[in-house]
Amino acid sequence: MKIEGKFILKVAGTLTAISLVVAALLGATNALTEDKIAAINKANTEAALAAVVSSPDCEFPPIEEIPQAAIDAAKAQSGKLTEAYRVVVNGEDAGYAFKIVAGGSQGDIEMIVGVDSDLAITGISVVDASETSGIGTKVIANEATTAGTGALDQFVGKSGAGSLVVKTNIDAVSGATVTTKGITKGANAALAAAEAMA
Amino acid sequence: MNFKKQLKDGLIYQNPVLVQVLGMCSTMAITTSISNGVGMGISVLIILTLSNIFISLLRKIIPNEVRIACYIVVIAGFVTIVDLCLQAFFPDIAKSLGVFIPLIVVNCIVLGRAEAFASKNSVAASAVDGICQGIGYTVVLVIMCTVRELLGAGTLMGIQIMPASYTPALMLVLPVGGFLCLGTLIAVMQWALARSEKKAAEKNEKEGN
Repeated sequence: MKIEGKFILKVAGTLTAISLVVAALLGATNALTEDKIAAINKANTEAALAAVVSSPDCEFPPIEEIPQAAIDAAKAQSGKLTEAYRVVVNGEDAGYAFKIVAGGSQGDIEMIVGVDSDLAITGISVVDASETSGIGTKVIANEATTAGTGALDQFVGKSGAGSLVVKTNIDAVSGATVTTKGITKGANAALAAAEAMA
Repeated sequence: MNFKKQLKDGLIYQNPVLVQVLGMCSTMAITTSISNGVGMGISVLIILTLSNIFISLLRKIIPNEVRIACYIVVIAGFVTIVDLCLQAFFPDIAKSLGVFIPLIVVNCIVLGRAEAFASKNSVAASAVDGICQGIGYTVVLVIMCTVRELLGAGTLMGIQIMPASYTPALMLVLPVGGFLCLGTLIAVMQWALARSEKKAAEKNEKEGN
């Protein structure tokens, strides 16, 4: 079959025209929603930051340039360090808060992990996850494990990057072992990052 | 154009999930709570209707050789628009549906209706088809959500319904529960369809005599 130039032009032209129209529509939608989405994400991150530190008045100045060593240290613990904040309580440095992305059972779990200046975890809160409703979400909602502590609360005070292991010193929520493992990866990664920052 | 017939087709005779067996992945994955089911159903309904209208409008322009590529561009565009709007205006629903909203792009209901209906019918009929098929999909999702949430978690819309002594059948929330629930629904549907066909045939026979 001989393919004519006209035919190619028609096929490619139509596809291009449709793509352009769709792109224009997308651009318009993005312009409408961009600020709102950014504001919602910022509010979520701020709420998560406040949740990992016990003292009510503290600030979280972001660390603009995260040291490569910290990123690598987190990566070695299977966590992706995406944002880092200093925790400042009453004008004094009190540790770090890291945004870590680690694999859960249904995709990535994005969480904030607070680490104090003694390199112990002060709290974990989940910003974004798509874990199974009714199972993995129990971990994220901090429901009690068989040992009686909250699934996220059990990490508080723990230290030593890589030392946290599910079913050894971390209790899994029944049925949600993979989600618990994801959070544990994030906790280990944050501890590793904090050690690398110090 | 026959709205009543199209609605009946969407809900029963050509139900996208139970009869055409399309869109299985999302049906199985997100039907663990009612708010998920309603959110997903309405998102698909909107995307299906918009893409049906658009594709029907363009049906004489789109060259046959690249029609699938054109459909996908149109569908992906609308999915992204709905995704962005959900994130901006309904962040909770967007959060719980997660990756399944972007995945509507490859939901075979949308492409299936574009190919089987919108590319051959008028704009108005295609719009009605999108709405009716969307309703059919939503109804099935809500039924599955109700069963799975009530028995699997003991709640409806997040409110405790079952007595405290009820131990939730966690299995129903897991993927295996999705398969069991959907299989049962399809079986009931096929039984009902076969029965009504048999009755219609008997009636015809009697009248023939």
